[in-house]
Amino acid sequence: MIGFRGQVGAAGSVAGLLLVMATAAFAQDSPALREHRVTINAGAIVLGGYDIGSSSAKLRGNGTGSTPSSFTLLVADSAFTRVTAPELRVGVSLTKRVAIEFGATFGHPRIGIGISGDAESAAQQLPGETLEQYLFDGGVNWQVPLNLGRHLAPFVTAGAGYLRQLHEDRTLVETGQNYYAGGGARYWLRGGHGEAWPAGLRGEFRVNMRRRGIDFEDKMRAYPTVSVLFFIGV
Amino acid sequence: MMKLLALTAAILLTAGSSSPAAYLKLGATLDGHVIDATWHQQPIGFFISDRAGNGVTSTELRGAVERAAATWSAVSSATVRLSFQGMTSAPAEGTDGRNTIGFIDRPDLDRVLGATSFMIDDQTGAIYEADIFFNTSFAFSVAPDGQPGRVDLESVALHELGHLLGLGHSAIGETERTGSGGRRVLGSGAVMFPIALTAGAIADRVLQADDIAGISDLYPGAAAINETGGIVGRITKNGQGVNGAHIVAFSPETGILVGNFTLTPQGDFVIARLPPGPYILRVEPVDDAEPDSFFATPIDADFRVTYAPRMVVAPKGGSSNAIEIRVLPK
Repeated sequence: MIGFRGQVGAAGSVAGLLLVMATAAFAQDSPALREHRVTINAGAIVLGGYDIGSSSAKLRGNGTGSTPSSFTLLVADSAFTRVTAPELRVGVSLTKRVAIEFGATFGHPRIGIGISGDAESAAQQLPGETLEQYLFDGGVNWQVPLNLGRHLAPFVTAGAGYLRQLHEDRTLVETGQNYYAGGGARYWLRGGHGEAWPAGLRGEFRVNMRRRGIDFEDKMRAYPTVSVLFFIGV
Repeated sequence: MMKLLALTAAILLTAGSSSPAAYLKLGATLDGHVIDATWHQQPIGFFISDRAGNGVTSTELRGAVERAAATWSAVSSATVRLSFQGMTSAPAEGTDGRNTIGFIDRPDLDRVLGATSFMIDDQTGAIYEADIFFNTSFAFSVAPDGQPGRVDLESVALHELGHLLGLGHSAIGETERTGSGGRRVLGSGAVMFPIALTAGAIADRVLQADDIAGISDLYPGAAAINETGGIVGRITKNGQGVNGAHIVAFSPETGILVGNFTLTPQGDFVIARLPPGPYILRVEPVDDAEPDSFFATPIDADFRVTYAPRMVVAPKGGSSNAIEIRVLPK
C-alpha cells in the first residue's frame, strides 16, 4: 500500500509539471480562437443506437383470485438504430479558450422492433419506423491548455438541448431533453494565431443522456455521438 | 319500421353455441350497410326478474347487475347511464317493452352461461329493448372473492351488459382445445371475449382497454372524441382483401391491447378510440373461438400470424394514414 501511494504521488507530480509546461507553452505555440468572434461549424454527426425499452403484451391469465398470473402474447424490444446526420454549430468566443456554442441536427433515425415470445409466430426483427428528429442544443466549449503543436488544440465541451421527434406519419410529435459532455480537437488548416478567416477541421466525441422523447420505459438513455465538422471563423 | 332482429349474444362456458352477427359492435343492416346498434335514449332502464338462480337470490342478482352497470357507467370516455327500475315477475325474455334481466331454465344450452336478445329499429339501429338471461343450469356466486366451482355472476353480468349496450365479442384472447371438444381460456384481454374464465375467477369484473375503446366508440364522450385516435388499414393476401382477420393494436408505451376485425371483402379495418401513440399491429386468423361467435358469414382464417412492418401512430383527434399488411397462407 505504501508503494502504491508513492506511485500515485509521483504520477500526480509529473502531471502537474506537464500542465504547467503546457500552460506556459500555450500562449506561444498553440492555435486559439479569436476573442469575441463567431465560428461557424458544419459537417456530419453519427448518433449511436440505443435501446428504448422492452414491453410485453399481457393477457389476464385464467385463474382464481383478484390477481391471477398473466399470459404473455408477445414481447417487443425496441431500439434506435445508428444514424448519420448533418450538423451545424455556431460558436461565439468569449476568450481565446472559452466559447459558447449553439447547434442543430436533423436526421432520420429508425426504430427497430424485435418480436419474441409469440406462441403463434417465430421471433423476428421488424424493419420498424423511420422518424424525423431535430436536436437543438447549447453549451460551453473550453480549449484545454495543452500544447499539441501549432495547428492542433484539444477541447472539452458540455451542454443541453431540446429534442423533437416526429413519427413516420408526421401525426404525432414527442419531445425531450438531451444532455451531453465530451471532448475533441480542432486542427487549423489556416490561421489560429490571430489571423483573419481562420479555418480548419474539428473532431468530437460526446456521451449523451437523453430524457423523454420516444421511449417505451420513460428512462434516461445514454448514447455516443461522433462528429467531424469543418469550421471557419468570421 | 321496427322488427325484432334475431340477435343473440352469449357468453359461453366453452365454445359450441352460435351468436350471429356480432363483432366489435353489434349492427343492423340498412340498405346493404351495417349501422351500429345503440341506445338513442338514456338512461337505459332495466328491471330485475324476481326469480332466484342456482345459488343466488334475486336480491343478490340485483346487486351483481347494479355493480356491473356501475362499472360500464364509470368509463369516463363514454356516456353510458344504466338505471335500475325495479323488480319484476316477468321473465327475462319476450317482447314487452321492458329490459329485463334474470334467471331462466335453459338446460338445452349446456354451454351458455347467459345471453342477450334485442329489439332493434332496422332503419336507425336504435335498440328499443334488450333482455338478459342467466342460465340456471350453472351454479353462480356473488362472493366478493369468488367461489371455487361457481361462476362469478358479476363477471357474466358485465359481459352481457356490454352486449345490451351494443358491443359484440372481442377476439383478444388465447385458448386451447379441451378433451371434451370445448376450449379453455389461457388468457383474455377483454371482458367481451366470448369464452368465460374458469369457475371461481373474478378477473372479468374489470373492464380492459379493448372494452373501454369499444364502449367509447359507441357512446363517445367529449374526451373520447378529442383525446383519442384511430388506426385504419387493409389486410391482403395474394393481392386480395382478407375478410374476418383479427388485428390487435399493442402499445409498447402503455401495454394496452385493442382489437378489431376486417369487415369488408376488401379487407378494410378500423381500430378506433385509441389513446394517442405508436402501436405494434399483429394480424391473426380467428382461431381462438368459433368464428360464428363473431361473424354470421364465412371468413378467411387461412393465413399466418403477421406483424405490420412498422409501428403505426394513432394521432390525437384523428386517424392514421392507411397501412396495408400483407399476410401469407398457412
